[in-house]
Amino acid sequence: MNWIAVGLAKDVPPGVVIPSRIEDTEMAIWCTPSGRYHAWSDRCPHRGMRLSHGFVRGETLACIYHGWQYNQTGSCDYIPAHPKLTPPDTICVPTYTCVEEGGVIWVSLNSVDDPLPVLGARVPVRSVPVSLSAKDVAAHFGAAGFTTIAVVSDYDTLLAVQPCTDTMCVLHVLAAPDADRKEVSRWVEDLRTTLEGVPA
Amino acid sequence: MILYDYVLSARCYKVRLMAALLGAPLTLQAVNFHPGREHKSPEMLVLNPNGTLPILKDGDTVLTDSADILRHLTSDHPEWRSADDDTWLAFASNLNDSLGLARLHDVIGYAADIDTARTAGVTALRKLEAHLTEQRFDDLIFLTGKAPTIADIACFPNTALAPDGGVSLDPYPSVRLWMRAIRSLPGFIEMPGIHRLHELAHPA
Repeated sequence: MNWIAVGLAKDVPPGVVIPSRIEDTEMAIWCTPSGRYHAWSDRCPHRGMRLSHGFVRGETLACIYHGWQYNQTGSCDYIPAHPKLTPPDTICVPTYTCVEEGGVIWVSLNSVDDPLPVLGARVPVRSVPVSLSAKDVAAHFGAAGFTTIAVVSDYDTLLAVQPCTDTMCVLHVLAAPDADRKEVSRWVEDLRTTLEGVPA
Repeated sequence: MILYDYVLSARCYKVRLMAALLGAPLTLQAVNFHPGREHKSPEMLVLNPNGTLPILKDGDTVLTDSADILRHLTSDHPEWRSADDDTWLAFASNLNDSLGLARLHDVIGYAADIDTARTAGVTALRKLEAHLTEQRFDDLIFLTGKAPTIADIACFPNTALAPDGGVSLDPYPSVRLWMRAIRSLPGFIEMPGIHRLHELAHPA
């Protein structure tokens, strides 16, 4: 498992942080005001609060609990209760390799140099949670892996599959640039109904 | 105007939020809904025989339905109304009976078939997400258009409080951005479980 889609760029605009996960790895995905995407472990090193509940402040991510702020390398550089303290380097959040390409936010947990999945001319439409494992979705389409699955439709659709739990995955849906996005959105709703209706 | 209010009630919060956004003064009369069941007391049943909250008293007018109260508060504010509001006020009831019920079960021990309530809540959230996604394709962020209306205020509380009832909001990006837009409105107020956006200054 190398590059996994964890969201669409348009759903995480600058200044926004969201929770996401790849299997058992819970992440805070956030975008700086200057448009850089980050994927971090979703735990504040201080008291374990989910950082995805926090706030983007300037180019840092601040925890909602005590306001500790982490710079773009994941290191803590400000503790509001001790404003004159320079926090030690050991206070840092584990970070994951994260890039935005083709309007999709991709994360690699094992930091490989593999090329990103090929999207062709397709553009992102929407992300949809499905109450099935990623493996079950891949099996439905007879796909060997589940990073991306091209699905025959009127819209040249491609699904970037995000494995979450044994009973949930997220489909990040891409389609031909000239496709009617509302039609594609309804198509994927129908697809989900079909997938979830198939007995395991 | 007097609002007979319970701080943890999603429906009472709709009224407090709407009044705050309008800048309309509201006198809050706290009612010990839980554990006191004061809303079922003889005094309260005189005011509202149904024994529910919220209750809004405006002069001689007494209103006990949150949708009616939202309409009443905005009767002189056409900018807070749209032709599609009724659909979403009905949908807000659906949210209340699913996500809202799951929350009351988890938070104050209401009797409920919790699995059924959560499943119905997820179905409702999927509908909300699908609609808001289509709105965003048209560069609209709110339920009925570019500006918020009573439709948004009616649907927001039980949606935002879904995690209190064990229903995750994590996989709904359009719902998240919609909630963020509501929390960004001038005059927005919090309730327990729904916090404001913290736009504090970065240290110099």
